[in-house]
Amino acid sequence: MLEIDGLVKAYGSNQVLKGVSFSVAPGQMFGFCGSNGAGKTTTMRIAMGLARADAGEVRWTGRPVDDAVRRRIGYMPEERGLYPKMKVGEQLTYFARLHGMDAAPAARAAEHWAERLGLGERRNDKVEKLSLGNQQRVQLAAALVSEPDVLILDEPFSGLDPVGVDSLAEALLAQCRRGVPVVFSSHQLDLVERLCDAVGILARGSIVASGSVDELRSGAVGRQLRVVAPDAPDHWASALPGVRVVSEQRGDTVLELAPGADDQQVLAAALATGRVAHFAWREPTLVELFRDAVTATPVVAA
Amino acid sequence: MSAPAPAHSDVTPNSPARMVRLVAGREISTRIRDKGFLIGSAVLIVLILGMLVFQVAINSGTDTTRVGVVGGDAAVGEALRTQGQALGTEVEVVDYGDEAAARTAVEDGDVEGALLSPSGVQPELLVESGGGQVETLVQGAVQGLALDRQLSDAGVQLEAPPEVEVVPLDPDADADLEAAIVALVGVVVLYSLLLLFGQFVAQGVVEEKSSRVVELLLATMKPWQLLSGKIIGLGLLGLAQMLVIAVIGVAGALAFDVVELPGRLIGTVLTVVAWFVLGYAFYASIFAAAASLVSRQEDLGSVLTPATLLPVVGLVIALQAAQDPTSTLARVTSFVPGLSPMVMAVRQSAGEAALWEVAVAVLIMLVSIAVIVRIGGRIYAGALLRTGGKVKLRDALRAES
Repeated sequence: MLEIDGLVKAYGSNQVLKGVSFSVAPGQMFGFCGSNGAGKTTTMRIAMGLARADAGEVRWTGRPVDDAVRRRIGYMPEERGLYPKMKVGEQLTYFARLHGMDAAPAARAAEHWAERLGLGERRNDKVEKLSLGNQQRVQLAAALVSEPDVLILDEPFSGLDPVGVDSLAEALLAQCRRGVPVVFSSHQLDLVERLCDAVGILARGSIVASGSVDELRSGAVGRQLRVVAPDAPDHWASALPGVRVVSEQRGDTVLELAPGADDQQVLAAALATGRVAHFAWREPTLVELFRDAVTATPVVAA
Repeated sequence: MSAPAPAHSDVTPNSPARMVRLVAGREISTRIRDKGFLIGSAVLIVLILGMLVFQVAINSGTDTTRVGVVGGDAAVGEALRTQGQALGTEVEVVDYGDEAAARTAVEDGDVEGALLSPSGVQPELLVESGGGQVETLVQGAVQGLALDRQLSDAGVQLEAPPEVEVVPLDPDADADLEAAIVALVGVVVLYSLLLLFGQFVAQGVVEEKSSRVVELLLATMKPWQLLSGKIIGLGLLGLAQMLVIAVIGVAGALAFDVVELPGRLIGTVLTVVAWFVLGYAFYASIFAAAASLVSRQEDLGSVLTPATLLPVVGLVIALQAAQDPTSTLARVTSFVPGLSPMVMAVRQSAGEAALWEVAVAVLIMLVSIAVIVRIGGRIYAGALLRTGGKVKLRDALRAES
């Protein structure tokens, strides 16, 4: 279990983190979301020992993360960084060795990961000669080459084409199947929703929502119901108790029910108007959950 | 076919020493394959060889003079050689059978002049054009021979003339001068390599910062491990280059017979090499700390310029100290850290520095290196992860992480 526990960090008078906590189980993919400047990068840098927290700590298997543990973490910084004039294969071998591998296994691992991420042909090219997408693959290979116990990736998907996204996603899922906890930050919420077992939404320096996407949905304020009753007159639902009309368009109505409001009463009212073509709870997308979470007051799912 | 994924058993935590070794190894292997570096090193070595050849060319004025003789005997050869010694040239006598052969030899430049019938009434000297040194030489020899003959004809028995005993008042003066010149050449090489490798360290620091790879590196190691690996790696390369130049220089000087005292020469060269090590540790640390304040190669000049002034001053004083190693300026500055590698090396080689002076200078240098590595390391660690504009020195020192 990777535990981020109560991280607090201020740069001068700017309070960046005000107690960020979440945990990631082995084999779990954790999507770390938040608006720009919310503190995602700072949280990850603290976990990697690149910044010091004013309070709080990061633990792996119950022990505070120290230098020895950090060498078992694969890291991809937000600002990509590789030696531009070094060859791909040599670079990967070097990073594997920095993580504690001996020369021969490091060279083997570099070859393996270059091959696996589709860089086999470019092993002897200098990094600066590669396209941005391929440089990104090298960056990921640098994070994976030492077969880390934990992966922390800052915006790994940014700047990738759909094919690149798919191959990166595949690589990350394979790591999860190995039992590695994977934390990655992203603005591509559809991707997070598709890939992640758990999501944490960071806003104003603390986690305002966390849990599985389903848990977030069930905890969302004002659940929405979509009713399509083609023959219904306008304002047919506005008088129902605990019901607010979000939108209404030629019989297609979206309603928001207050906690405790009876959905069966809504169905009865709808049937009273005539034919009902559609009646279902509307699953809010992660984008909507995110928007609610960062604008509303904190809600933490069980 | 891809290789199997590595097993966890392949991974053992790196000790700090191994980390430093890995960084140093990367510095050496990248630099040694760099075309610019290889060309630069070759140019430097060619320059040293060129300097030696130049020395030899200048000294060749005291080379041998070949004189052809037709119809001479042993006494003639002897007289020519004795006269040559007085004129500071070695004379080689070549006997020819007849005038025609001698004439051809002069025309071909085989000999500088040919002396015909030296013992006759009218000796003749064949030269290609103007007589020059060979004329003086032959004239003196023929005169001497004639004088001897007349004296012995007159029945005067010559006793061997007394030999003058030479008493040198400062027997080492020449050797001191020679050693100071060697030291000067050494100090110029030392200065060039100091700046060159200091520059390499600075460029490496900025390269890691500007490419942001430093964040990935610092996730696996401490700033001091990265810094010392870089300085040690490039330092070993610099030392190797210094030694290559020293060996070529000494071997060349001995082969071409440019110096008189090989033992002293080697001592001077070793002194310079030792001062290079201290100077490099000093300047590399300063350059690295300065370079860590900026994020772009273009900004490097603005932070390095103040740091490069010190070795320039040192070189200027060292040049002056080579002429007058006892001056107060040289004496005082040979203790100043940063200047001492150049000034003290010259004073020491000139034989003007007492052992205790050298010891004190080395000690001051070691203490300041320790201080600079400490402060420089703090600046480096504080500024490394701050990208963008130029980091203020105060901010870098205050930053904890």
